[in-house]
Amino acid sequence: MSIVSVSAPPAAAAFLRRFLVCVGWSGLGLVAVAVVLSDFLAPVPAGATHIGPLLSAPSARFPFGTDLAGRDMFSETLHGLSVTVAQACEAAAPAILAGGLLGFMSAHLPRPAGLVLRWAIGVLAAVPALLLAILALGLIGRGFAGIAAGLAVAPLAFMHAFDRAGAAGNSVYAGYARAMGVSASTLLRRDLAYEFRDRFVSSAARAFVTVTIVLATVGFLHFGAEPPQRDLGLMISDATATDMQAWWTAVFPALGLLILILLARLAAGPDEGARP
Amino acid sequence: MNGGRRLLEINDLRVARPGSPSPELERFSLTLNAGETVVLLGEADCGKGAVLRLLGGLCERGEALSGTIRFGAGETRQAAQNLQIPIRVAWLAAAASQPLNPHAGVAPQLARVIAHKLGCPPGAGREELRAALARLPGAPAIEVLDQPPAKRNMVATGWGLLATACAQTPDLVLCDHAFADLSPAAVRVLTAALLAEQTRLGFAILYAARGPQTIARIGGRALVLRRGRVVEEGTAEHLMSGQTHEYTQSFFRALPRLVTDKAPRPTARGEPLLQVQGLILRPGDKARSRSRDGISFELRRGASLALVGEEGSGRRGMMRAVLGLDRRPGRTLFDAVDLTMLSRSMATRLRRSIAFVSGADDALDPRMTLWDTVEEPLKAQLDLSREMIAGYRDSALKRVGLASQDGGRAVAMLAPFDKRRLQVARAIVAAPVLVVIDEPLHGLDAVAQTTMRDLLAAFRLAHQAAFLVITGDLSVAQALADEVMVFHDGRVVERGVMRDLLRVPKEPATHALIEAVTFPAFPRQDAPV
Amino acid sequence: MWRFALWEGGRFALGLFGAALLAAGISALSVAGGQGGGRAFLSAMAGRLLAFLRLDFGTGAGGQDVLHELVARSPTTLALVLLGAVIAFLFGVPLGLLLSGGPLRRAAAPLIQIVAAAPVFCAGLALALIAQRLFHRPAGGATALLLAALTVGLAGAAAVQLALRRAAAEIQYAPFRLGLRQLGLPAPEIDRVYVAPLVFAGAFRGLGDVMLALLSATLVAEGIFKCPGLADLFLTSVALRDWNAAALVLFAFAGAALLADFAGRLGAQTIAAR
Repeated sequence: MSIVSVSAPPAAAAFLRRFLVCVGWSGLGLVAVAVVLSDFLAPVPAGATHIGPLLSAPSARFPFGTDLAGRDMFSETLHGLSVTVAQACEAAAPAILAGGLLGFMSAHLPRPAGLVLRWAIGVLAAVPALLLAILALGLIGRGFAGIAAGLAVAPLAFMHAFDRAGAAGNSVYAGYARAMGVSASTLLRRDLAYEFRDRFVSSAARAFVTVTIVLATVGFLHFGAEPPQRDLGLMISDATATDMQAWWTAVFPALGLLILILLARLAAGPDEGARP
Repeated sequence: MNGGRRLLEINDLRVARPGSPSPELERFSLTLNAGETVVLLGEADCGKGAVLRLLGGLCERGEALSGTIRFGAGETRQAAQNLQIPIRVAWLAAAASQPLNPHAGVAPQLARVIAHKLGCPPGAGREELRAALARLPGAPAIEVLDQPPAKRNMVATGWGLLATACAQTPDLVLCDHAFADLSPAAVRVLTAALLAEQTRLGFAILYAARGPQTIARIGGRALVLRRGRVVEEGTAEHLMSGQTHEYTQSFFRALPRLVTDKAPRPTARGEPLLQVQGLILRPGDKARSRSRDGISFELRRGASLALVGEEGSGRRGMMRAVLGLDRRPGRTLFDAVDLTMLSRSMATRLRRSIAFVSGADDALDPRMTLWDTVEEPLKAQLDLSREMIAGYRDSALKRVGLASQDGGRAVAMLAPFDKRRLQVARAIVAAPVLVVIDEPLHGLDAVAQTTMRDLLAAFRLAHQAAFLVITGDLSVAQALADEVMVFHDGRVVERGVMRDLLRVPKEPATHALIEAVTFPAFPRQDAPV
Repeated sequence: MWRFALWEGGRFALGLFGAALLAAGISALSVAGGQGGGRAFLSAMAGRLLAFLRLDFGTGAGGQDVLHELVARSPTTLALVLLGAVIAFLFGVPLGLLLSGGPLRRAAAPLIQIVAAAPVFCAGLALALIAQRLFHRPAGGATALLLAALTVGLAGAAAVQLALRRAAAEIQYAPFRLGLRQLGLPAPEIDRVYVAPLVFAGAFRGLGDVMLALLSATLVAEGIFKCPGLADLFLTSVALRDWNAAALVLFAFAGAALLADFAGRLGAQTIAAR
């Protein structure tokens, strides 16, 4: 209304944002290729011991060095990345479906039912996701790390989706639409369609980031993948057995993990509203 | 007022925003004397903003300026971003532009502004504000303004902003659409107060306005701007009596005029469509309702009724109750059925024959596309083929002038005027029996106001739908409705046929509403354009 | 304000009740042992809930009273959380304020993404590695506690700066910032008097999230720096399927997060209303 309008974000910032998102998705695509072809790209199979001397520093033969059991760290990092990505994909599905979708649908339930559900899930969201994941693993067994992490993150996704859908349902335009005979089911369909169009991709990437961090931490605390299978978290944890003397056994898996999380974060878009 | 000393002189000003292909303002010259009033008329982005920004010291980073400026008898200087302004300038913002922090009280914020401008402590600023408010007849007490702006109505904030500007004893007041989007009666009172203060303090006024009402009320000299250039210039009397430029003519066509000799349309004799029985708008009226039974009225098929009143009079409360957005004591029957007694699906089905056109920008789902918005009622009501839906949609969009727009564009990306027209297109395809219209011209530029008014009038003529118009502007009510109910303080104080009510108003509230859209500068008050 | 406080107090109480129900459900696993079906579980859960009211939280796998165990382990975790919170605010507030500005924030966005990409245990291990290189031996005693607190604090700082930046982003384009400038207030005064309180109020609203970050980090830091506290008790309990202890720690953590959320909301309202 005022003649001196509140300035919009500059175009350069929007371009930078789009560029970073592209970088994120391109990087994730490359990671996906590396994961799919890990058995071909890795010189030795997963868990193969005594491939070289024990705790050998990075060299031309072993670019990432070897660990305490003489495993090739390059191959192990690739296999570990593959396990972590597979688990994260497995975890992101329940986080989005049981969290996001259910939260969205719950906001359209009759008000008392929706509020009770929000309260119940809100209690779960008040527990750190890491604790919930570990608890779930304690209950259902270590083989289900992906599902446990997904269920642990789901309450956060539920709360976000519920609040967003609630805001849409209480908006002025929704009130007018109801007054003009737009049915509740049409409004729900409309909200779901736009939610999917506008937010699904970034929400999925964000859920991927959160479950990856939870999974890696769970693995680090020895509640994740069961040996001989090792994810990146477990590999980093194993590296602490040498009192960090062989730094390469920790640094390369950690770098793999960092790059994976960073790419997914960029793909999700640099959003101020992201939860830590 | 034009004989005062020279206050400022701008010559050949050119302003270009960074990255913009064309300048925002060019070849602009203006001379302003002390105590003089100049109105800059034009639509958004016509260049009037650049002038106010320059004089308010609010140029944006990267703006390119050229031309000269001279204050009083000082030296002529090049226009520049960091221009030192040797005169006292006060900015009078519109309350509707939300210039104040919604979490803090109005008065403390304004007192701080005064204190900063006068270089005194905030306590002294508050006393200055109190004194300025006391000088303005009709202004609220400062204690009323201690609440955050959201809790007071916009008129109270408008008084506060006006008092703040006057308390600075300025040489020049820059009015940035100062009283825009307030009801005509409020604008009338506030404008009168501004002019009285101008007479008392002798400041000059530079008023940026988007409608001809301002020049009709405030007088003085006007510059009509279009796309950064002055297309016509003249005194209020000159421009009101006739305009030379085609654009100025279209601009002045938006000036509201009440027509007292307009013959009413034959009163509709259809079945009652909307019946409101004993509706109570204020909880405090409950006890009173035992004797008076609240507000009752009916609207027959094809008839039209305007609910007119000031902000807070209850007209909008009535509209919300009729639309079922708020529950209030009393009954509302639509097509002889109480919608609250029906199942949700039945009520939804019946509601599909109601259309709503609002002056609020958030009345449409911002995520929907232009096409989806128009198609939704068709898809909900009828089982039509895609081609037929597209045909109806395109026809409706053509009627409102949106056919050339990209159908996949989100509503959020549309201009306010386009959103308004989209609502009309949606109403057209819905083939409603009742159209509820709420302040349809709110926030629009003059030319857009004319188009919107014509569009709705044509819609009313082409369809036999009943119209329920909610407005604070009697001229809008007259353009769209034959009967009128005047609301005041939560009650209906007067009702009747529009022409009779305009000719012989009985209540002071009705008088005030009529006076609000009556302009003394007109050569002939009731002459239709 | 009182109405708001009552409403939030009610929400907090309901949240605590829900957390108690959750803890009773977990604790009931020890009693029901997965046998007897849903009815037996519900009856065990009700029993545990009643026992909680008598402050009877059951016994652990080793036969010890879990409440005593909790009390014994609490100081370490409490110290970590408190020290972590101090570090979090010391680092997080200036960082958040610094990065809340428009151009700087946009320029720093990729950098923040990289920093925020690091899981807490990676940061903890990096700190452990640095300490080892500095002291030529693994950290222990007070050093370990300090390093653990630093790890927790860094995780908290990330949450604090995010809450601040989120709040700043929300009001970055608020119309009153321009409106007050037009009226004549200088930008620094507007930022100091009106914007900063709203940013801090927004950050206070995120206090629950900050507490969640601190508690999560505690779980990792206690493991890396061998400072056995509540988190360590939780991990051991789950590994040993000692549900009584796990339930009590879970209740304590959920209670802390709910309390932080409640306090944060009250604080935010108080600041915003000033």
